[in-house]
Amino acid sequence: MQPFVGLPRFDTGKPVVGLWKPVTGMLGAAALALAGGLAVTAPAQAANTITLGAAVQLTGSLANTGRYYRDAYNLAIDQINAKGGVTVAGTKYQLALKILDSQSDVNLGVRQYVQLLTQDKVNFLLGPFSSNDAMDDSSVAEKYQVPMIQGGGASGQIYARGYKYIFGTLPAAGDYFASTIKMMMTLKPAPKTVALIAANDSFDVSVAKGTRELLKKAGLKIVVDEQYPESSSDFSSLLSLTKSKHPDVILWSGHETEALNFIRQAKSLNVNPHLLYSFTVGVPTADFRKALGADANYAFGMTPWLPSPGLKDAWFGDAAQFATLYQTKFGYAPDYHAASAVADVEAFVRAIEAAGSVNPQKVRDAIAKVNFDSLYGHIKFGANGQIVMPQTVIQVQNGELVKVYGTKFYAKPAYPLPPWSKR
Amino acid sequence: MELFSQIIVNGILLGGLYGLMALGMGLVWGVLNIVNLAHGALIMFGAYALYYLFSGLGLDPFVGLPLAMLILFCFGYLLQRGLLNLIVRSALLNTLLITFGLDAVFAHVAQLAFSADFRTINPTYAGNNFQFFGLTIPLARLAAFGVALLLAVLLWLFLGHTRTGRAIRATAQNLTAARLYGVNPRAMYALTFGIGAALAGAAGGLYGIVSQFTPYIGASLTAKSFVIAILGGLDKPLGVIGGGLVLGVAEALTALYLGPTYTDVISFGLLVLILVSRPASVFERA
Amino acid sequence: MKIRIIFIVVVVLALLAGVPWYGSASIVQFGIDALLTATLAQGWNLIGGYAGYPSFGNSVFYGLGTYGTAIAMAQFGLPFWAGLVVGGILAVLCALLLGIPILRLRGPYFAIATLGLAAAMGAVIANLGIAGRNNGLILPLFRGDALFYELALGLLALTTLMIYLVSESRFGAGLIAIRENEDAAAVMGVNTTLYKVMALALSGFVSALAGGIHAYWITFIDPGSAFDATLNVKMVIMAVFGGPGTVLGPIIGAFLLSAISEVLAAKISTVAGLFFGGVIVLAVVFMPKGLIDVGYGVRRLGLSYFVQNIRQNRL
Repeated sequence: MQPFVGLPRFDTGKPVVGLWKPVTGMLGAAALALAGGLAVTAPAQAANTITLGAAVQLTGSLANTGRYYRDAYNLAIDQINAKGGVTVAGTKYQLALKILDSQSDVNLGVRQYVQLLTQDKVNFLLGPFSSNDAMDDSSVAEKYQVPMIQGGGASGQIYARGYKYIFGTLPAAGDYFASTIKMMMTLKPAPKTVALIAANDSFDVSVAKGTRELLKKAGLKIVVDEQYPESSSDFSSLLSLTKSKHPDVILWSGHETEALNFIRQAKSLNVNPHLLYSFTVGVPTADFRKALGADANYAFGMTPWLPSPGLKDAWFGDAAQFATLYQTKFGYAPDYHAASAVADVEAFVRAIEAAGSVNPQKVRDAIAKVNFDSLYGHIKFGANGQIVMPQTVIQVQNGELVKVYGTKFYAKPAYPLPPWSKR
Repeated sequence: MELFSQIIVNGILLGGLYGLMALGMGLVWGVLNIVNLAHGALIMFGAYALYYLFSGLGLDPFVGLPLAMLILFCFGYLLQRGLLNLIVRSALLNTLLITFGLDAVFAHVAQLAFSADFRTINPTYAGNNFQFFGLTIPLARLAAFGVALLLAVLLWLFLGHTRTGRAIRATAQNLTAARLYGVNPRAMYALTFGIGAALAGAAGGLYGIVSQFTPYIGASLTAKSFVIAILGGLDKPLGVIGGGLVLGVAEALTALYLGPTYTDVISFGLLVLILVSRPASVFERA
Repeated sequence: MKIRIIFIVVVVLALLAGVPWYGSASIVQFGIDALLTATLAQGWNLIGGYAGYPSFGNSVFYGLGTYGTAIAMAQFGLPFWAGLVVGGILAVLCALLLGIPILRLRGPYFAIATLGLAAAMGAVIANLGIAGRNNGLILPLFRGDALFYELALGLLALTTLMIYLVSESRFGAGLIAIRENEDAAAVMGVNTTLYKVMALALSGFVSALAGGIHAYWITFIDPGSAFDATLNVKMVIMAVFGGPGTVLGPIIGAFLLSAISEVLAAKISTVAGLFFGGVIVLAVVFMPKGLIDVGYGVRRLGLSYFVQNIRQNRL
């Protein structure tokens, strides 16, 4: 039998000081290493620079979406600088960006936001991706009373705490399915039963809660109402259960990778609702449609943003021009995450110019009052700090993303959903 | 009743894949006394290896699978020979630490090499299924299940009925005696780890066919493999597959009757219960 | 001699305690995190380092401390200190109730049982209404990072003092006897079950307090962060890196590794995780007995100490 832990034997014969001497030496070494590493001087900033800071997930499990924020922040700041920067009380300022990689670690993210404020002396904060990260990171903004505008977290929890320094450009999670349900009520044959499936994280629970109320109001019957643990990869039990209840509609809320697994496994288990299914994520992104190929067809989704030339913007011209520029620069298409991130930067510019100052309190009050059109849409924050914005219903038809319904129908939906064998 | 049987079938098909995931981990743990926390990362590498064989060379995933296993075998062999052999006689905790470090290195290298985008191995028949007494059987999952079973039986035959296999087990039991009989333990250790990595490669390839993957799937797969390897009795291949089936079915039933959010309560609760309730002698071998 | 040591300890403590006054806010943030992690490593040291029971589930106590504090404060409006008490009691109860069956297991099987326990507890909390299910709980915001820092420092100092006293006591000798040979210890008259459960309960208690302080500081907790499985591995790595079963090893390991990882994260950002993994791999190869042993070894053997380590442990 081998000993499990080969710990150094406890040597009681040794004088105590023998234990301490190397220890104090090493403690000193550790302190030196720390001092050398952390005592970096604040970057020398040009006199007329306003720095925005963010700790974004560039590595780790959320890196796939985190990159939208890094790229969009960079693009927005370059573009704004190229068009003359920010004018504060008659003086021209350039914008700068300081991004740190939070490695998809919430604790590290919080420390990095403190570092951004206290050591790197950034003026204002931009947000990370995901509701959970935004929850923790926005408390740093509140603690230090420096405004943060974030476009990565939609959960109502973020705005339910009465914080004054957090603003967000993603619309409320609870309303994600509102336009979809409104559209459903106008379709023939009319759906009667719904399966509601959601992940159990903050954002998706908020979606499910809001959707439940909307369904009730619309008089639809919920036949399956299940939560699954986030980052699940197997949906076979949930799918078989759903199949046995024969719902007309599946409303599904979760993360992109899970949506992908859900659809693929639905096909392999031959599960589909009679009339339609809709997903909070995935449908707007090109990666998702590419990975699923023809199986992505008929999937409904929603987005607060589409790259349409109708959305005029002071710096990029319009949303379509922005999308082209983004695509050429980074090699992939932007989705609403990227557009919302750009809107965050623009909201800061508008607010700083309106405040005529970089004083955090004054800018905070100005953010609460911003009111302008951007490539992302009309930017105006509610009293709790969250934007109010309708979701447009979209659908994959023949591999293409089609804008289907907002306040009216823009295109004919592919409806009802044919069974897998007939696609 | 139909739902119940369908759920059981789902659980069994998933369980076979679970078992295969844990097979390599159990072998390395049982024979080399290394608890490989980078096992999930090896599974992830397997998925990427098959992905590039499939999308780059256009090989059918089930044809490419042996090749992916070969790639992982070479990788595992070199890793053990060049690095892990250096520390294999130190405390077990140290093997945990070094493989934890390797796991971080592997995941980050994978992100640099393959990007953080998710990938899928999606052959045209991936979504096919057939009806069997009113049950829906997904074809790809059935095939994955068959491969898992086949590999487990092959490993069992190899360990019990070939000269090399017996040499591996002898090395595990008594290093000095094995040396006296002319077994080169360095090569033997590397061979064992290589086989473990190849099995992880197979599991990764099959995982990639039924699910999407990213560089960061490793950690959760390691945890799952850990549980199953213990349930199944480490280097007993058929036992490990059995452990996978138990976990697969338990998870499926939990999802049906308690809700999917309770699956972790059940699978980890089950683990603790089994450990605590079995007589201590069963676990004295380490 | 003794006076000199006490003098050094007092000076080091005073220097550390003064950090919020002369250090930057980032250093304070780093300090809170490093001190709490060091406390966890030190808590693990008692059960894993001294008693030789390598717990991979101390996050269960950390998580209970986190949730005890959060539930008391967010759901019942109790003050912070009451939350800490609730968290501490929960952890000790858990250690007493579950410790007895689990501490019968040895070696890796104990490790796995604790790991399973932590995962199961996290999953249970994620389904509990009073704990906010998987959505977590929000604590009131408190603008006093200096206080959190001093609390964390105080907790670490007291934990270390406790470890020192234990290591000098009959209890500590009993734990070491259990580590070296449990059956022999039992024959010699050590009440092994009592000793082990006490070690686990103490270890759990300090981990829970660390969790409570962290919860109030970060203001939002959820099962994923409170029962984070990598936290288990982290605290073991820090203790083993520094030197398990020594009074100061885990602290040094925790400080050094936290500093390395923080500097890497600030300097080379996206490849920080890669380098951190590499550091751990090299550390295991060249100093498998921890930093404390390097201190002795290099004085005795010079650089050939590292070569000797590899010789000893390679196949």
